[in-house]
Amino acid sequence: MKRKVKAKIYLTILLILITICLAGCWDSLELNKRSIVSGLGWDLDPKTGEVTFTVQSIVPGGGQSSSNISGQQQGGSQTRSIQVDKDTGPGMYDAITRLTQHVSRFPFYPHTKVYIFGKEGAQYGIYQFFDVQARNPDSRPNALIVVSAEKKASDIMNIPDGLEKIQAFGMAAEINLSAQYSKYPAVTVFDFQKRIMSKTTAPIAPIVGIAKEIGSEGREIKKLRVAGTAVFKGDKMIGELNERESSGLLWAINKVKIGFITVPEADLEVVKAKSKIIPELQGDKIKITVEISEDSDLVLFKRRQDITVGVVRELEKDLEKEIKNQVMASVEKSFALDADIFGFGEAVHRKYKKEWKELQPKWDDIYPQIEVEVKVDAHLKKIGDIYKAL
Amino acid sequence: MFRLLKRKLLQRTSDHKDEAKAGNDYAHIKLDIKLDDNLNRIRNILGESNDVIIREMKIGRNSNIDAAIVYIDGLVDRNLINHDILQPLMFNLPLIRDNVNQKHASLIEFFKSTVLTVGQITESEDMVTIISDVLSGNIAILAEDTAEALLIDAKGWEKRGIEEPGNEVSVRGPKESFTETLRTNTALLRRKIKDPRLTFQNLQIGERTKTFVTVVYIKGITQENLITEINQRLKRINTDAILDVGYIEQYIEDAPQSLFPTVGISERPDVTAAKLLEGRVAILVDGSPMALTMPFLFLEGFQNPDDYYTRPFFATMIRWVRLLGFLLSIYLPGLFVSLSAFHPELFPTELLVSVAAAREGIPFPVVLEALLMLLLFEILREAGLRLPRPLGQAVSIVGALVIGQAAVSAGLVGAPMVIVVATTAITSFLVVSYADTGVLFRLLMVIVSGFLGLFGMVLFSLEILSHLVSLRSLGVSYLSPLVPIDFKSFKDTFIRAPLWAMDNRPESLAPLDKKRQAPNLMPRASKSSQTGREKP
Repeated sequence: MKRKVKAKIYLTILLILITICLAGCWDSLELNKRSIVSGLGWDLDPKTGEVTFTVQSIVPGGGQSSSNISGQQQGGSQTRSIQVDKDTGPGMYDAITRLTQHVSRFPFYPHTKVYIFGKEGAQYGIYQFFDVQARNPDSRPNALIVVSAEKKASDIMNIPDGLEKIQAFGMAAEINLSAQYSKYPAVTVFDFQKRIMSKTTAPIAPIVGIAKEIGSEGREIKKLRVAGTAVFKGDKMIGELNERESSGLLWAINKVKIGFITVPEADLEVVKAKSKIIPELQGDKIKITVEISEDSDLVLFKRRQDITVGVVRELEKDLEKEIKNQVMASVEKSFALDADIFGFGEAVHRKYKKEWKELQPKWDDIYPQIEVEVKVDAHLKKIGDIYKAL
Repeated sequence: MFRLLKRKLLQRTSDHKDEAKAGNDYAHIKLDIKLDDNLNRIRNILGESNDVIIREMKIGRNSNIDAAIVYIDGLVDRNLINHDILQPLMFNLPLIRDNVNQKHASLIEFFKSTVLTVGQITESEDMVTIISDVLSGNIAILAEDTAEALLIDAKGWEKRGIEEPGNEVSVRGPKESFTETLRTNTALLRRKIKDPRLTFQNLQIGERTKTFVTVVYIKGITQENLITEINQRLKRINTDAILDVGYIEQYIEDAPQSLFPTVGISERPDVTAAKLLEGRVAILVDGSPMALTMPFLFLEGFQNPDDYYTRPFFATMIRWVRLLGFLLSIYLPGLFVSLSAFHPELFPTELLVSVAAAREGIPFPVVLEALLMLLLFEILREAGLRLPRPLGQAVSIVGALVIGQAAVSAGLVGAPMVIVVATTAITSFLVVSYADTGVLFRLLMVIVSGFLGLFGMVLFSLEILSHLVSLRSLGVSYLSPLVPIDFKSFKDTFIRAPLWAMDNRPESLAPLDKKRQAPNLMPRASKSSQTGREKP
């Protein structure tokens, strides 16, 4: 009896010890020994190949006053809410480990909201960053990818932003909002990885730049602004889309949610939109039909005239033309860059599996030759509370 | 030194045995014919306590019969002694013709059948019975030339009235609770269940206290195995004192080493009656305002009398709230510790920012912080409970406002931790049955999560779960009807089905009478009562 009890006790202790060993990650670390990273900047010097890491960390309890003061622009009694540190090393992890020489706490990455790439580094190629990112369980696939309009990522990581105390959160919110209004795409790590893994589709990412304003005392005020869409080929940035082209891209890839469209005589609010890419092989020619159906409300009619059925039809036609033009603008730009930002290749792949084996290796040559037709079916659903002009 | 202790201990136990023998040396003594001898013996046994009253008198037409009454002052009803015993014996008896020996077998028999105007009378010649009856509030009448004593139930001591239940408050239900008097408690139950099959089975437990213990069940509903098992367990108890129902609980529970209770306790007659009607056994103990019910199943703790007195929808919702409260009270501090020390990635970002801000500058690790606050709360609770009532409130105010507020502003404890501990403190009282269990598990959970984080919590939860599955209460699986699963009995678990739908008693108790009511009791308007518009 006694022996049994003893054996039981030993067994329990053994089990506990085993489970402790099995647990592996033994990473109890108090919150006040971690620094929560909100944004991560990555730069690569094309000449030397040196990597620079910029870490924007949240200062716990910082930014208590109403104003958003960050980084070095500290003023008065307000506490800063973020801290930006950067260091350079010959490789990715050299840079990270060198950071510890002047940062007092362990950086904690899972809450990073944006990954920012300097333009220079992005043009050189960002594959190694994504390799590390995908291998490391610490990072989240729903963080946003951003390309800095400036040379370095760190150039835009110190610019105070909007209403948010923590700049990176503000940047993420700006990108999400502009994506919601169908201006520029919001690209998560997951989206980017999907595109980078595809053999033909070109990755895209929003570009964030600095907008300068003249403040009240003649001082220059810097603010962040989403300023374009970066187009990658493989892991290298090769060009940019402007606002109109970005919109066209969103229309084609079914990413338009709501937004506003201006036609010569009216402003319209998009309430519902849907698009479909239909590929067709015609001999050795490829034809892509982009079908877009769209519902919109009238928000402004510039002609002082009652709205009639005829006017509605007219506006719908204008709308269709405008959307078509936007899409075609982006298509032409992508042809010029020879980057398949729409995923036409994948659409062909899905429909013509056999033929794709031959098409895929020479897709770069085929792509600019594709015939693209845009069919838009626009409807004006509501004309607002008045149907007669005031 | 240990040897010395051992020797002393041994000596003690042997002393105890001798004493026990000495106390029981009148075990086999029967009454004598001589009154004086009997009275002397009683005097010897009861000692010289001044609450023992031995009133000698001469009765009969010629005052020629010696007699005596023996009782304990304070335990008996004085009015009853004066009017119904002394008066008939001393005043009325001489008026009755002296024909004792002709019609009646004995004088005692004559007293019993003709003279005394009281209800419950028994006869005994056993000294043990007489003494124990006298000590529990009966009056013994002895007479010359009689080897028998009359024992008259004249219990009439000062007692507390029936009051509102203090611990199990109900909004709509009856507002009476058990008291310390066993007889009152049985009456309370009898008033609820006027079924001839409601059975009270009496036992006396305790070498010295001779406490009355009553096993209550309803014949024809309660499974007989349960009753025999309970009786066997009760008979095994061989101790000198039973002072409260809690003593019995600890002697008969199924899993004495478990943190979970396997015996139910209630102070409400309505709850006890409901459990009896489900096929459970109740135990009442004289001197304790609580009833034990067995078997006690895990989900019973989440039931509340108001569940059944209100309509089912709210009752079901509030049952879920209780369940949630129980889980929160066990897991919340542990979860907070795990998340902030091991897995900050699981916090929503904005929450993490404010939690991190609150942790800034706190000198202790978060585990210690949590344990400190939990311990502080337990101290305040205990102090508030034990101190005299006016002081108790002062302590609560000092604790809640001064210590809580000051600890945060002094930077010893983070504000989120105060919120977490306060929340658990409140939620732990949602489920009264597991309030004590919850405290222990909460502390253990915090310690475990301080070592192993969420992994430890999951491990510990599995341990608890496997322990719960292995528990039995009076042979019934503790988690039933969840384990073993019985969908029919789910009507009174996570949902509280309408009363008209609960046709059967809980299957797990194996009641002899399975049906509670007739089927199809769902209320509907009868056709004759439709007085609305008539069809053309």
